[in-house]
Amino acid sequence: MSQIFRQSDSPNSADRDGTPLAEDVDPHGSEPLAISRRRFLEAAGFTFTMTALNGCSRTPVETALPFAAQPEGMIPGRSLAYASTCAGCPAGCGLLASVRDGRPLKMEGLPGHPLSRGGLCAVGQALPLGLYDSHRLQHPLRVGKPVSWDEVDQAMPSLLKAVNDKGGAVRFVTSTITSPTLQATIDAFLEQFEYARHITFDAASCSAILDAHEQTHGDRVLPRYQLDQADVIVSCGADFLGTWISPVEFTTAWRSRRVPTVEQPEMSYHVQLEGRLSLTGSNADRRLRLSPEEYGVVLSRLFVLLGERAGEVTAGDGPQSLPIAEEELAALADRLWAARGRSVVLSDSQDVSVQVLVNGINHRLGNYGSTLDIVHPSRQRQGNDREVLALVDELKAGKVAALFVVGTDLTHNLPDRETLIEAIGKVGLVVSFSERLDDVTSVAQFACPDHHPLESWLDAEPVDGIVSLSQPLLAPLGETRSILESLARWSGRNESAYDILRAHWEQKILPRAETRPFVDFWDRAVHDGFVEVAPTAKPVGEFRSDSVKLITHEETNELSLTLYSKVGLPDSRHAHNPWLQELPDPITKVTWDNYVCVSPALAEEQGLSEGDVVRIALVEGNVELELPVVLQPGQHDRMLAIALGYGVKGTDRFAHIGPQWLEARPTVAPGELVGKNAAPFIKPSEGTLRYVRGDVTLTRTDRQRELASTQEHHRLEVPPNVAPYGAELREPIQTTSLPAFAADPGSGAPEVHGDLDVQLWPEDHPKTGHWWGMAIDLNACTGCSACVIACQSENNVPVVGKDEVRRQREMHWIRLDRYYVGEGDDVDVLHQPMMCQHCDNAPCETVCPVLATAHSEEGLNEQAYNRCVGTRYCANNCPYKVRRFNWFEYPHKDPLQNLALNPDVTVRSRGVMEKCSMCVQRIEEGKIEAKRLGEPLGDGQVQTACQQSCPAQAIVFGDMNDPSSAISVALENPRRYGVLEEFNFRPSVSYLRVVRNREEQDEKLMHDGENGDENDGENGGGHV
Amino acid sequence: MHRTIVNVILLVGLLFSLLVLASGMSAWRLPDNQQGYSPEQPIAYSHRLHAGELGIDCQFCHTAASHGRHAGIPSSDVCMKCHKFVTSSFDVLQEEIALADKEKRKPKTIVSDELRKLYDTLGLNDPQQLIEEGAASSVPWVRVHNLPDYVSFDHRAHIAAGVTCQKCHGPVESMERMRQYESLSMGWCVNCHREATADGVNGRAVHASTDCAVCHY
Repeated sequence: MSQIFRQSDSPNSADRDGTPLAEDVDPHGSEPLAISRRRFLEAAGFTFTMTALNGCSRTPVETALPFAAQPEGMIPGRSLAYASTCAGCPAGCGLLASVRDGRPLKMEGLPGHPLSRGGLCAVGQALPLGLYDSHRLQHPLRVGKPVSWDEVDQAMPSLLKAVNDKGGAVRFVTSTITSPTLQATIDAFLEQFEYARHITFDAASCSAILDAHEQTHGDRVLPRYQLDQADVIVSCGADFLGTWISPVEFTTAWRSRRVPTVEQPEMSYHVQLEGRLSLTGSNADRRLRLSPEEYGVVLSRLFVLLGERAGEVTAGDGPQSLPIAEEELAALADRLWAARGRSVVLSDSQDVSVQVLVNGINHRLGNYGSTLDIVHPSRQRQGNDREVLALVDELKAGKVAALFVVGTDLTHNLPDRETLIEAIGKVGLVVSFSERLDDVTSVAQFACPDHHPLESWLDAEPVDGIVSLSQPLLAPLGETRSILESLARWSGRNESAYDILRAHWEQKILPRAETRPFVDFWDRAVHDGFVEVAPTAKPVGEFRSDSVKLITHEETNELSLTLYSKVGLPDSRHAHNPWLQELPDPITKVTWDNYVCVSPALAEEQGLSEGDVVRIALVEGNVELELPVVLQPGQHDRMLAIALGYGVKGTDRFAHIGPQWLEARPTVAPGELVGKNAAPFIKPSEGTLRYVRGDVTLTRTDRQRELASTQEHHRLEVPPNVAPYGAELREPIQTTSLPAFAADPGSGAPEVHGDLDVQLWPEDHPKTGHWWGMAIDLNACTGCSACVIACQSENNVPVVGKDEVRRQREMHWIRLDRYYVGEGDDVDVLHQPMMCQHCDNAPCETVCPVLATAHSEEGLNEQAYNRCVGTRYCANNCPYKVRRFNWFEYPHKDPLQNLALNPDVTVRSRGVMEKCSMCVQRIEEGKIEAKRLGEPLGDGQVQTACQQSCPAQAIVFGDMNDPSSAISVALENPRRYGVLEEFNFRPSVSYLRVVRNREEQDEKLMHDGENGDENDGENGGGHV
Repeated sequence: MHRTIVNVILLVGLLFSLLVLASGMSAWRLPDNQQGYSPEQPIAYSHRLHAGELGIDCQFCHTAASHGRHAGIPSSDVCMKCHKFVTSSFDVLQEEIALADKEKRKPKTIVSDELRKLYDTLGLNDPQQLIEEGAASSVPWVRVHNLPDYVSFDHRAHIAAGVTCQKCHGPVESMERMRQYESLSMGWCVNCHREATADGVNGRAVHASTDCAVCHY
């Protein structure tokens, strides 16, 4: 067939998108193919007849296999929900996993969980795709060769004994372990060695916070931050809504103080001082640009100012010059002082002296015991960089006899990778428990792959007193084995993971609980997923005021580099998850890549434009990296920012993800990986791994790299000349300030001219039964994008690959529109989830020539895939740009990932339009189940996927015909408005206006900026 | 004379071929219409015997019909509820008992050919043996009712509304081998939904929606 397809040789040729040419013409202009017209018609006729006859035949015989013996409680086709614990990061959020016919399909937040309170982030949602990944190690390896577990178990004791007999040092490296049982098992395992140490290494370390508490309180602890208790939150760079320590927990807590009501027009005051524009910064009431190198002096000054207010003498002089206005800081100090005991100051700095200052400030404010709990501390980050650095030295010096690595990609996340791999290669015994063939596993004598977290029993105690359980949701897919079992076996005990866990709970957890007997306690824990038990509180030392040293001067560099984690990819462990790779970053909207963020001012100075490849190198040393540039308004002018967690070994597997058609370009160029690893820039200094460093240079190359950014896609821009008569165009996101809201709850609403109730058509959708509607509180929404992955998982939304994203063909049904408001670099950022608005006067419905999209009697805008012929008129006519066209079939590259498909939702084929259905499969399920039980469908019984997992509980969904439903209440909110309501589309999705806790003056400034900005009102703010 | 005979023969031939054509056409279906499909099953299970003659309720075996989307093909252990003891047809067993009585011996276990297939899938030599995990496998039944992937059908809703099984599946109790009775086409579904909304189901008023998204999502 190949000779009748021809690739275009001129750019204007009509066959650019690969349509086969009608005639077969040799490109060199020679004879046409030797086939007569008659022959051709004969052949065509025969083919047509056979095709038609074929259509009348029976469809292929399909077998239906019932169980031989059906497990109790299992009904084919019905989901069962199991409570568990998310293992995406050490935050330990509650997980409610729905398992359908033995397959875990959808991860949801566990309602009532004391930390996550029903929320779950994008990473947790994406766990099933990590489970159904045929690239995970399927069996143990010995020096790279598959072996059986018996062989491993037979070889191990003598090897371990040999290490011990020689008095060799044993190093057991893990990421933060919150599991008490695993910790106890590791301790028991290490007891058999004379010189053994357990070292905790976090890829995104908070070591400085723990070290600082050791200095100020005499105990190396991480406080539990209780943001729901805080009236004033000041964060110095900590992206607590995005990636820092426990984002879901912090988002739910932060949100609880962010929604003012008419009765109580109050909300917390959140100030973010930061260099790069983080998700948290984009949601702050006040955001001050500050280089991360300047945190110390600003915090010192704040410490002094608070000392003045407290009447305490501060030893030493404060800093002389400040990077921000003194009045600004004084006002902040006043705010904090007024809210002492109800405020919190946070920082992500890895400089221990900065963190000591933070502790000093929190102590002066009396926040310990209220917003910071160190008596019942958090265990979500335990990494000790000092020990990690000591280990690196030991490894390089060849002093380690045996190395065990669990749950962390050691070499990928540390600088000096090659030397480290070489050093590890020389260690006598290396055992890796990694699920993938990473660097350490490749050189390890033994690869003993642990189960995927959804396959194994485990527990977690992320915060003292809250213990949760993980339970297996399916039998292991490969010949993997729980680390609990492996370690127990090598400690001479032959027990299953379940027995080990149960025994530990009976001995150690039960005494802390009140429920007896153990069986009841255990059953309760398995059912609920977590238990609250007595904390192991131990007295914490008094605050040592002499530990705080003021930082009067910090060395600032001409150019500094900040390494950060992305919201969708907090850890390199998730780099193999295509859902997360294709999740647009909430701020930059870039997918499938990391890049260098620079401020527009710096870009102008250096003559850079978006996509220019630059070389970042260390002044001394041979570390360099070439990455494309992203212009990031709001970023400090003297800094660069690069995301960690990219360039992971094996991600070249995604080279050909997405449709492979004539013009397809690979997602990953040959010989490359997804993004580049920025870890070589991590700077070990004074016992911590610093993610901020100076001494870097930026050089332009003359190359360009087109990023796959969704920033400019699907714009809501409406040309002014199509504005309806008498109505003005309104902003997609309406904002107001807290004082204005207190004075008038309806403030921020545009003036209404003309009548919006004019109807061209008679009311032909009576909606007598249910009338589904949604309201999204933009004041709660942080833009974290958990809903995007929730929707992708629920609705079988395909991954299209980098090249298709570049062509604006991403398939996400829900997107987060990000707007920059204001001019210059101090931009204000607004986030807006946008999906099908299910308009009552839907412009898409009127243009469909085949009635594939129609209105239901329950107010839904339905899309019948089997009727759609793919004219795409609807997408053109959709004012919200939420319709997605299947340009191709999008089969999973890895067939195992088909197991993650939701059988309740059609897998759409090529040539049809699709869009948000408001999870109609869940609505139908809810209605039918209510019908079966003979009960009316209660409010909240149907939850959409985006709503269920929203960490900020920003989404309300329900029946608008039920006056007592949550949605009806939300619609009465004076902050309610509809996007593009002025066109009388009558959307079923409403939004609640943003309220920022700032003075009217700021608000006015903001609006002035808005009006002065021509590009405002576009998705993504193309004015950068 | 000769010509007349030839004409008659030709006429008869023409009529015959028309007849063949007409009868053939009556069996023509639109693509994907599986009405009348009655494939041979791995075990010649008779609905006529079980549901008709013995009067076993449909949901005794298809338990999930009222609780889930799929009515479900019963798992083999459901068969074993009876067939642990009923190893062959009643007459054969009675004969053997009578014979054994006469010969004053214990009756032998007589296993019919079809039930032997069931026991084989379960890995049982003796029907009264316990089913061992690992040894048992599923019976590869051939699927009769198969809707396209873009249609969702839920048994629960229809049973809750009082629709009888026979309304869609036909007189199963008289079918020796299961066959698809109705066309299961969209027109057939929609007609029934319309009629149900207009006339109710078995005297009960119902609202059977004809929205696209009731079935297509």
